[in-house]
Amino acid sequence: MRHVGGRRDRLPEWLIMEWWWTAGVAVLFGAGFAVAAAPRLRAAALDRRTAWSSARAAIATAAVSRDACPARVAEAEGLLTRAETIAAGRGGVAAARQAGELARQADRLWRAAVHG
Amino acid sequence: MADRRLREAARWVALAAAVAVLVIFVVAQRQSADVSYGRSPSTSAGVTEGAAGELSDATVPSAEQMTAMINKTDVVRLPGSVARWDEDRVRAAMGAERMRILVAPPGLDKAERDRVRDVRDATIRVIGTEVTGGAYQATGDSLDDWRAEFAAGDVTNLLITLIAGLREQPPPADADGVRWREPAAAEVAAVAAQLRRTGLYTAPGATLTEVPGQNAFPGREPLYVAQPRQSSDAPLVRYGPALTRLFPGRPIVELHGDWIEYHGPDAGDFAEVAAAGFYAQFGDRLSRYAYPQANVLGAYLGRVTDVRYAGLFDRPLPYRPADPLRVALPVLPWLFVACVGVFFALSMRSLLRPLRRPRARREHGTPARLAGLTALAVEMSALTDSRSESALTRGITALTAARSALDDDLPETHVRSLLTDAEADLDQAARLLPYPGYRPADYLRERLA
Repeated sequence: MRHVGGRRDRLPEWLIMEWWWTAGVAVLFGAGFAVAAAPRLRAAALDRRTAWSSARAAIATAAVSRDACPARVAEAEGLLTRAETIAAGRGGVAAARQAGELARQADRLWRAAVHG
Repeated sequence: MADRRLREAARWVALAAAVAVLVIFVVAQRQSADVSYGRSPSTSAGVTEGAAGELSDATVPSAEQMTAMINKTDVVRLPGSVARWDEDRVRAAMGAERMRILVAPPGLDKAERDRVRDVRDATIRVIGTEVTGGAYQATGDSLDDWRAEFAAGDVTNLLITLIAGLREQPPPADADGVRWREPAAAEVAAVAAQLRRTGLYTAPGATLTEVPGQNAFPGREPLYVAQPRQSSDAPLVRYGPALTRLFPGRPIVELHGDWIEYHGPDAGDFAEVAAAGFYAQFGDRLSRYAYPQANVLGAYLGRVTDVRYAGLFDRPLPYRPADPLRVALPVLPWLFVACVGVFFALSMRSLLRPLRRPRARREHGTPARLAGLTALAVEMSALTDSRSESALTRGITALTAARSALDDDLPETHVRSLLTDAEADLDQAARLLPYPGYRPADYLRERLA
């Protein structure tokens, strides 16, 4: 039987394709999520870089203290080695904080050794 | 700032509009599933026995009387019966077997039909033009069959088919027994004159007195020619072609008893479809009952309306007001895409914007402090001894870290805390020097003043 009427029949195929709607909804969701997530990701990345910057500074400072110390301090060297290992493996904010904390402890031990 | 807030508002508006358009579109899909283009305005064709005047005044004797009659002679025609057949062909089909045929009039009610069926001695029963016998019923299935049956009451082919079935033999080929003749000029003139006056010509013996109100041919005025069923062997008079020449462009409906033919515009497009559908559905009832021609015509016109409405032949559909939603529907995808585009563009803008800003906001104090401390460290490096050099080196290390943090756009507070560490180390080194004025606080105050 022949078709009668039906406005949809007269539209070009690509215009009514569900593809447009699906793609449009995907773009809506994608853009929405991107706008919501971008500041968080950016802040997290900045935090991470900041934390690693402090950690690297602490490790460098500890290395200077080690070179300035006339005696060997085995415990401090162990702590610094651990800190450098963590730093070599990269990682997140927690890893950076731990590495920096270890390096600062080592630094304190070496300085104490110089003065003591 | 106001500009930025405006853009944010526009972004949300675009999102809301896109969602609204999507919802409208989805809801409209459900609606369009409900829409029917084939809702024909014809009246219902439902019928109950007697309601449409299909019962005639004819009646039949009791079963015992009919049995007695059929035992006396092989063919019994009850008063009012309309069926006729070619005796020679039927007798030839019977061969040597003796078959009794009981012919009853059409339009019997159920009790009367049961009485006819109770006549056990009749081999074949013909009620109206309904032919039954044994366990069989012979029915026509082509326009030729139906034309012979309803226009002329000719059941020859049906009888022969039924007899062949009863004798368990293959049915012989059908023969078209209907004869036609063209009307004479005087006959056409008389009919045309009547048609010009009223649009309806009823031949003597026909029962059509009024045309049922059906809008089967919108925009055109149909003409109706009603003739009775041809009961004798006189040929049928075919007015259609002659009237078509006389009234070009007007639909002409020609009735011969229960047989209806259409002539006129679009006849080739739908006449056969409408007739085949009509007689396939109603042939059974038409053969058994004696409908007035007006009722048969009404049902036929309803079928024509259905066929026309279904779009089987090219006529414009009757005007239906445009549904604004359906008219607006094609723009929805564009609207949706536009909203998505606006939302996407504004989102991307707000994503990319912060990357350009931090450098411009940097305070000037920190780089100056870094520069001052670096200069101090350079000056001190020429003066240090073994006691102070480790503190100085630690200070320089912290300064290096502060500079790279500054280059990396790390937060101001972080850079400042690194500088504070460096300053503390340099201060420690300066206190170990024999020369005054190298304490960072003094040095910076002096330099920056």
